[in-house]
Amino acid sequence: MIFLHLIVLAISAVLGLVFAYFAIVEEDLLKAVIYSAGQAVAYAIAFYILMAPDVLLAYIAIAVGIYTALLIFVISKTERREVIS
Amino acid sequence: MKKVHAVTACIIVLFVILLSFVLTSLNMAPETEEVRTLGKFFLENSYFGDYSAMSPEVVTSILWDYRGLDTIYETSVFFLAIISSLALFRLGNTIESEKHSEDSGPGLSFIVKGIVKLVSVMIIAVSASIALHGHLTPGGGFQGGSALAVVPLLVIVAFSKFALEDLGFTKDRAMVVRSLSLVGIALVALFPLLYGAYIMQNQPIFPARIGGQLTSGSLILYNIFEYFAVGAGFTAVFLLLATPEKIFKKLLGVKKE
Repeated sequence: MIFLHLIVLAISAVLGLVFAYFAIVEEDLLKAVIYSAGQAVAYAIAFYILMAPDVLLAYIAIAVGIYTALLIFVISKTERREVIS
Repeated sequence: MKKVHAVTACIIVLFVILLSFVLTSLNMAPETEEVRTLGKFFLENSYFGDYSAMSPEVVTSILWDYRGLDTIYETSVFFLAIISSLALFRLGNTIESEKHSEDSGPGLSFIVKGIVKLVSVMIIAVSASIALHGHLTPGGGFQGGSALAVVPLLVIVAFSKFALEDLGFTKDRAMVVRSLSLVGIALVALFPLLYGAYIMQNQPIFPARIGGQLTSGSLILYNIFEYFAVGAGFTAVFLLLATPEKIFKKLLGVKKE
């Protein structure tokens, strides 16, 4: 049983890493925020596997809901696309 | 998505898999069945032992009892963060009074609005259960409060900021709720001093059971106050952030482009 847990943990951690990478390199900021939310979901699964439900409950509400919404508010006050000079 | 990013992502994934394989085969982190001494103390004491917090939930009893002052400081840091963001986005009283902007759109479609109405009630129920059962099951005031804060967010997105304000959830009221809750936390923390006990002492000052129900003394009070403080604090910030850009521009005197 622990084997299955570790496999799920590894997959979610790697998935979170990939999402984080795409959040950094994405030029469309709105898409970057969505990648960031995907990373949060992957890490939430990791927290659950690591038996930290207290952290999970705060993390899922803040990282997926509040943090994403705050960033979207901020993006709405500036431009959607990142300009790389 | 550019090809180079996909390739880089693949390289990162391969590197991580390789690294974890090497670390596991070198046996860098051997499995252990033992609980460390500190963990053992909390596991044995949180409900049964001599230093009991009368709560089967070890995390909450550490947060609000054994290491309670840490959480008090954390709450004050959060309070300062909210206050500073309110100060950053403050509006003059004259501007704030002319609330209804003339052309606030109709909002999203009725499907979204219906779903938001349903989901809001469910989120409130779940967040209240997270906060009120914080001393029994995983969760607590902060977790419940941040789940509660999703409701005004959803309403702002699906309807508008003004819909929320018409219902009576204005920024000032949210700040009043928040301040009252923080005063509540401070009073509960200082209350044991009346009995000559320490600040934030839980047992035996506060009753562990009320009407046969386990309430874990001060833990449930802290959780309830923190629930309202966090929920109202986030609501106030969202209401300010959702203020249309036009009003800010009018305040700053920006001419139309």
